[in-house]
Amino acid sequence: MQEHIQLTQKEVNRDLLEGVLGLPKWWLGATSFLVLVILIGLAAYAYEVNKGIGVAGLGRPVLWGAYITNFVFWIGISHAGIMISAILRLTQAEWRRPVTRAAEVMTIFSLIAALSNIMFHVGRPWRLFWVYPYDFSRGIFMNVRSPFVWDPSAVMTYLIGSSLFVFVALIPDLAVVRDRATGKYAPRIYSILCLGWRGTPRQWRLQAIAGILLSALVLPVFVSVHSIVSWDFAIAIGVEGWHSTIFAPYFIIGAIHSGVSAVAMIMALVVWLWKMDNYLRPDHFDAIGRLLIIVATTWFFFFFVEWIFALYTLEPPEIKLRELQVFENPYWWLFLIFLLTSFFIPVPMWLFKNVRRSPMLMFLTTVLVNIGMWLERFLIIIPGLARRTPLTFDWGSYHPSIIEILIVAETFAFVALGMLIFAKFFPLIPLFDVKEGMVFRDTIKIGRRIVPASIRETP
Amino acid sequence: MASHNGNGRHHGPREGLYVPFSTQGDVVRDLIGKHDKPSDKWWSGVAAGAILLVLGIIGFALRLSDGVSDRIVWGYFAMMFAFVLTTAQAAPMVAIAPRIANGHWRRPISRAAELWTAVGLFNMLLFIPMLWILPPLTDGRRSLWFFDPEDPWLSRVPIYSPHIWATLAMLALVVAGVLLLWLSAMPDLALIRDNGADGWRKRWATRLSKNWVGTSAQWNMLHHRMGILGAFYFMMLIFVHFLISVDFLIALVPGWIDALYPITHAANALQAGVATVILTMVVLRQWGGYKEYITLEQFWGVSKLLFALSLLWFWFWFSSFNVLWYGKKPGEQGVLELLTVGPYLPVFISVFVLCFAAPLFVMMWNPIRKSVWGPTIMSVGVLVGTFLDRLRLYVATYSIPGIGDPHVDKHSIHLDESGRLPLALREAHFPEIPDIMMALGVIGGCVLVYLLFARLIPPINIWEQKELMLYKVHKTYHRTQVLVLGKPR
Amino acid sequence: MAKRSVLGLFPEERIDTAADAMDALSSAGYTSSEYEVLTGTPYPEGTFGEEEPTHKLFRWPLIGAACGFVVGLLVTAGSQLAYPLVTGGKPILSIPPMAIILYEGTMLGAIIFAVIGIIIESRLPRIFMGAYDTKITEGYIGVTVTADESRMPNAEKVLRDAGAEEIKRGWESS
Repeated sequence: MQEHIQLTQKEVNRDLLEGVLGLPKWWLGATSFLVLVILIGLAAYAYEVNKGIGVAGLGRPVLWGAYITNFVFWIGISHAGIMISAILRLTQAEWRRPVTRAAEVMTIFSLIAALSNIMFHVGRPWRLFWVYPYDFSRGIFMNVRSPFVWDPSAVMTYLIGSSLFVFVALIPDLAVVRDRATGKYAPRIYSILCLGWRGTPRQWRLQAIAGILLSALVLPVFVSVHSIVSWDFAIAIGVEGWHSTIFAPYFIIGAIHSGVSAVAMIMALVVWLWKMDNYLRPDHFDAIGRLLIIVATTWFFFFFVEWIFALYTLEPPEIKLRELQVFENPYWWLFLIFLLTSFFIPVPMWLFKNVRRSPMLMFLTTVLVNIGMWLERFLIIIPGLARRTPLTFDWGSYHPSIIEILIVAETFAFVALGMLIFAKFFPLIPLFDVKEGMVFRDTIKIGRRIVPASIRETP
Repeated sequence: MASHNGNGRHHGPREGLYVPFSTQGDVVRDLIGKHDKPSDKWWSGVAAGAILLVLGIIGFALRLSDGVSDRIVWGYFAMMFAFVLTTAQAAPMVAIAPRIANGHWRRPISRAAELWTAVGLFNMLLFIPMLWILPPLTDGRRSLWFFDPEDPWLSRVPIYSPHIWATLAMLALVVAGVLLLWLSAMPDLALIRDNGADGWRKRWATRLSKNWVGTSAQWNMLHHRMGILGAFYFMMLIFVHFLISVDFLIALVPGWIDALYPITHAANALQAGVATVILTMVVLRQWGGYKEYITLEQFWGVSKLLFALSLLWFWFWFSSFNVLWYGKKPGEQGVLELLTVGPYLPVFISVFVLCFAAPLFVMMWNPIRKSVWGPTIMSVGVLVGTFLDRLRLYVATYSIPGIGDPHVDKHSIHLDESGRLPLALREAHFPEIPDIMMALGVIGGCVLVYLLFARLIPPINIWEQKELMLYKVHKTYHRTQVLVLGKPR
Repeated sequence: MAKRSVLGLFPEERIDTAADAMDALSSAGYTSSEYEVLTGTPYPEGTFGEEEPTHKLFRWPLIGAACGFVVGLLVTAGSQLAYPLVTGGKPILSIPPMAIILYEGTMLGAIIFAVIGIIIESRLPRIFMGAYDTKITEGYIGVTVTADESRMPNAEKVLRDAGAEEIKRGWESS
């Protein structure tokens, strides 16, 4: 029953700060590789800016392609951070403790990656200037009635909110690093960053409240962000298949599906790369596997309802679009892969305890989910536009060009690099949360059975 | 191991996970004793419920004397059926969801929530007339079943598909609910069998508790089956809301294409179900004699749920509204005009305030969430709001002329040039005397059924209470007192 | 007069000794605002017999939300009125889209103010660390006394008598 390991604070510091105070052997190699991928991607982007957006595979009527798919995908991934840390904090789920920070940090980097996709997509990035209201001197303002203005306001709110969330929860751990760091500058930088944390009861008390209060504040923002992304598609009537009221919740639950899967991937990577198997136990994978079963099933229900209502009208354009998605080349095989990878392979596997408790299998299944969820967005966006009928004068099909592929690869490398660099300077597993879990852990003996228990402060 | 955490006299409601006695025997004696004899208040409740029910039956007979072909007059009946589905049949989720999540705070109120499954039996009766009110698919409306007389394949769809599937789904929901109630009551019925006063209750308890003696195999089976049945009940609840809202509501409104609404219907039900349970808790506390068992901890727990679900109400509503409002297709405009901003606008505004705005601004304060009166007032508001919401939707829908008539266009409500509804829909449809009688009768019937079942099955779950005493330990941690909570699974 | 501080360190497993030291300080005449316990991890409240800290954190997000709402209103209404261009047949001041941006503004204000509130209510940032030891983040329990210089030797003695493993001096701002 009690498979968690009880350690002293010194041991926790030693284990969890190994990657910060030392340098894992693989770290430089991995970061160099990622930097290389990013440089190639940025070179491709420079080429695109120089030559114009025509170097992407976009054309009439498919004017939104891999970049927008990737944008929605990364917004979706970003939802995991808050999903995991806020909901599990509010429900006092003990297994959240080692997972929260990695999830939150992933939120930040994937949001930045998502925003960068918009830059890639617009072709003339300097025009983003017009999104924000500045002053009266230029005489014109952005159109608040457009979802393309809601989007930046929501994403920026979410980015600022989750960055502050990460920072607040990082303060006590920064103090630990401050006390351990060596060298000329590092201790000074950490002591500035941790704002002079000492660990008084007041500070700990506020840290506990901060977790709950900020979770409660960021959670509604998280819901709004992907809703608004979905309204980029749904409020217009031009594209059949996009104008559906279910889009906001459907996007949210899809985002949670891919995001929680991404957290499971990160957990497995943390176990392998930083050898954290003392902290991320099979129990943690089991818990996230159970959560994923619920999330995936709910997602599938929304997917089902979305489809039912697409067919409900029995209107020819809508039926044609669905035929295109399901039966026509190349979408039929993408659709098949999407269904298999996002639901029909992983969910039956997660029903088995042995699968849920194995980091390797959880890693593989959740990678599948994310392949599937990337394709889901692709299949919503591209066939929808390819079938767009009103005001369309010429038809072309869409293939991502090599430039787009390189740039999409860049976003993946960017998020990975962000996580690696973060993990080099800050602990990726929250030290104080883990220590608190160990202090608050207890058992109750009932007859011959020892039941795991935890201390609640209200007597 | 369990200990008494009250020292000195408490004046306000108690806080924390509290069990008023320190031994399991005392708890059993107290709860069985409280349940042995019906109180005067129980009798008055039963009498009131019975009178209202009789009134409702008279109202129903009056309605029936006009026949079912004119659907306009049946809007209020359909609405009451939906209201019971939305409130009473969703209330058991307050027991099921925290049980799956292992929330200990649910224990004193889980039975009170589960007892509402019995009211499902009553709603099954209310469902029967709905089968006559709903026309077959031959009127050319869009539906989940894709019936199309022109198409060689789709013309084979049974024209009574909505009736058949909704009946099956309702039956499955009600049966699952009653089974869940029976299962969870079994150990308590065994207590009545062994310790209760002689009489019909003891005979029934003996029969229903089967051979429950509490072997560990039986307990394991109980937990296991309750988990499965609870999950099944939840899925059936969602499914029934899906079928009812699509077949009995959305399909009847020309041009209403709203993929989210079936889920909204269910989400609203979860909110109203929580409100129903809160009111039940208040009644059990104030008049049922269970003040010591239902404490602030329970109110706090359900308040958080109610608050979260009220926020969800807005999100679901806005997600639909924003898309339809932006879309501005003719069909969408007609639907918004009919259901939201047209003749039922005052009703909609009341719903908006009662189900969302008031809970948001009141329940955001923790001291209010952690009180008895705050959640109570808000629950009354949410229930009234849900009532009005069902009114605005079902009454407006059933007042559309031409339901069941194949010669009337089923694809759009045609607004005139100034954006107004057709003449027949321009005025809200107000209730008549039989409608009011039926509404009162339905509420009375629900109360009556609940009270009757609460006579047989203790409204406080005794064995879950005892289980809590095992998993809850108060102890001294250095210089402070802490509560240690076990997590068995 | 300059404040001085002194720190006594107690090993991780001797929680009760640290709590005793706090009691001893109290009976030696030090007020509860003069001594504090420093730990490397949160303990259940009152573990060392310390008082429950009071705070007014909850007013911060409310003020922030109000500010954010007002700014959102100014931006949405102001920009639309300043450049009134009808699009999609929607009114210039359309409530649904404005509500979205107002909502984001409100939440952003609430979050930013909540974080500021958390930092200020935690009595951070703290420029002078006073008596502190890096062993605290390694599990040692520190009991510090901050008082006038003249009362330092006595505090040191109380801590040593209570069983502190190590005593350190530091200084505060005046």
